[in-house]
Amino acid sequence: MPGRVAEPTPRDLRRREQAGSDVRMIWRRISQVAQAVLVFVLLGYLIWRGAAAMDYGWQWYRVEPFFYRVIDGELIWGPLVRGLIQTLKLAAIAGVIAILIGFVTAFARLSQSVSGRIIATCYLEAIRNTPLLVQLFLFYFVLAPIFGIDRFWSGILCLAFFEGSFAAEIIRGGIQGVARGQYEGADAIGLGVVDKYRFIIIPQSLPLILPPLTGLLISLIKHSAIVSVIAVSELTTAGLNLIADTFMAFEVWFLVAGLYLAVTLTLSICVSLFERSLNKSKR
Amino acid sequence: MDRNSPPPAPRRKRLTPVDIAIFAAVAALVVYTGYRVNAVLVYHWNWPRVLNFVLRYDPETGRYVANLLLYGLATTLRLALWGTVLATVIGIVMGYWRTVDNLTLRILSRSYVELIRNIPPLVFIFIFYFFISSQIFPALGLDDLDAEGPLVDNWLFAVLFGDPALLSNFLAGVLCLAMFEGAYVTEIVRAGIQAVGRGQWEAARAIGLSRTNVLRDVIMPQALRKILPPLAGQFITLIKDSSIVSLISIQELTFAATEVSSTTTKVFETWILVGAMYFVLCYSFALLFGWLERRAARSRR
Repeated sequence: MPGRVAEPTPRDLRRREQAGSDVRMIWRRISQVAQAVLVFVLLGYLIWRGAAAMDYGWQWYRVEPFFYRVIDGELIWGPLVRGLIQTLKLAAIAGVIAILIGFVTAFARLSQSVSGRIIATCYLEAIRNTPLLVQLFLFYFVLAPIFGIDRFWSGILCLAFFEGSFAAEIIRGGIQGVARGQYEGADAIGLGVVDKYRFIIIPQSLPLILPPLTGLLISLIKHSAIVSVIAVSELTTAGLNLIADTFMAFEVWFLVAGLYLAVTLTLSICVSLFERSLNKSKR
Repeated sequence: MDRNSPPPAPRRKRLTPVDIAIFAAVAALVVYTGYRVNAVLVYHWNWPRVLNFVLRYDPETGRYVANLLLYGLATTLRLALWGTVLATVIGIVMGYWRTVDNLTLRILSRSYVELIRNIPPLVFIFIFYFFISSQIFPALGLDDLDAEGPLVDNWLFAVLFGDPALLSNFLAGVLCLAMFEGAYVTEIVRAGIQAVGRGQWEAARAIGLSRTNVLRDVIMPQALRKILPPLAGQFITLIKDSSIVSLISIQELTFAATEVSSTTTKVFETWILVGAMYFVLCYSFALLFGWLERRAARSRR
């Protein structure tokens, strides 16, 4: 059709639209960032006002010895750092036991054994339907004196049994996520039960199991704070002791919360980066 | 058959020798525990003493009346109820903010969720309780609530909020729990909203509905169907998490149990009983919600 102005193609339209929207986008971003800064300044002001109204004597200058002290040129870690290390240790031991419990329970639930399924179901329902704090008291006040367990291990065992129930479900989900043909193939080439799981099923279920399991281990660090109730020495207990000594409740609680936040956030960022690189290499 | 379907369910088998051996081992463990308690620890069981704190015989009226542990249980249920209501309000607002374009709202809701999910509940509740008792309650003027007023002094108030004298104590617990659980509800709501297809937004906008109407009449009804089951689960979680506020002296079941175990020194009975009470409570709610969900799924077909 000669003589007529060529109609813009959809592509042209899109390009024009984008050019316009780019400028608008930038403006919107700027105004949004300004808005965000304003809101946070306001929030900060409110918190500062609240603190001032409370007449709380902030003593931040006194917190350095909570972390470390230098005596005669020798570095001595303070209670908070020692508590943090203790927390990580507690979480690591409890995590290992929890994963073991998880595997045993998951296989017991998937197995054909009547007893395995009954015991696993009882265990899972018991843990799922009672509060962690009550479980801790049951472990510490009832089971510990009966079997002669000390407070450190009753804390660890309680955490392990608690997280183990979640681990069991994660592992069971991962194993059931493996395609049916893999089981049939393993059977067809004549592998025994142990070899079938060891070489075929578990390796393929690991990508499904590992990400939620690492999330579980991170939340274990968080949950471990509860053992401070039975005075197992860890970060929260260290915080409670410091408050009893110095009466600096807010400083200490903010530091403790900040330490937990730093550890768990760092770990989750590491895990998500790791996961992303894992997915990238798979593609 | 689909290649990707899950592995076959194991065939049901009868009791094998292995099963019998395992059951025997469990029985042996139970017997050994009993031996340790009765012969080594020489523990004197006294169940009536502790059960007395559930139901107490009142000689004056000649009837059984509720005692400390049942009061605690009622407070736990109230905490869970009001905590869920408040957490749902927080969760709907924050969950919607998680999905909007506005950067400020997204940062606010995201930092709320990450902050709460990454510090231990215990630490959060200790900090927040200080804040509530020193800032919010004086501002609300709750401490000089008139306990004799007509608004307070009736049975409905007692059912919903418990003893008026303990109101500020109770509300502190509700606020702590709601702030805490709100972060989890936020994620439930966000997932529910995002599960509604983009086409629904576009179609609703195309027929000229305003943003509010799109949200109220199109998105929320569909999102609600996805939100309700996990929200019911969150209610059970809240019953369990409410035990933590016993540490800031909110007088619910775990707090009552601590008192009972220290006054009677019957530690074993108290904690076994309280554990069983929580179990029965949570398990029956789990069964109830599961039944409701199955019924709803059937009626939708």
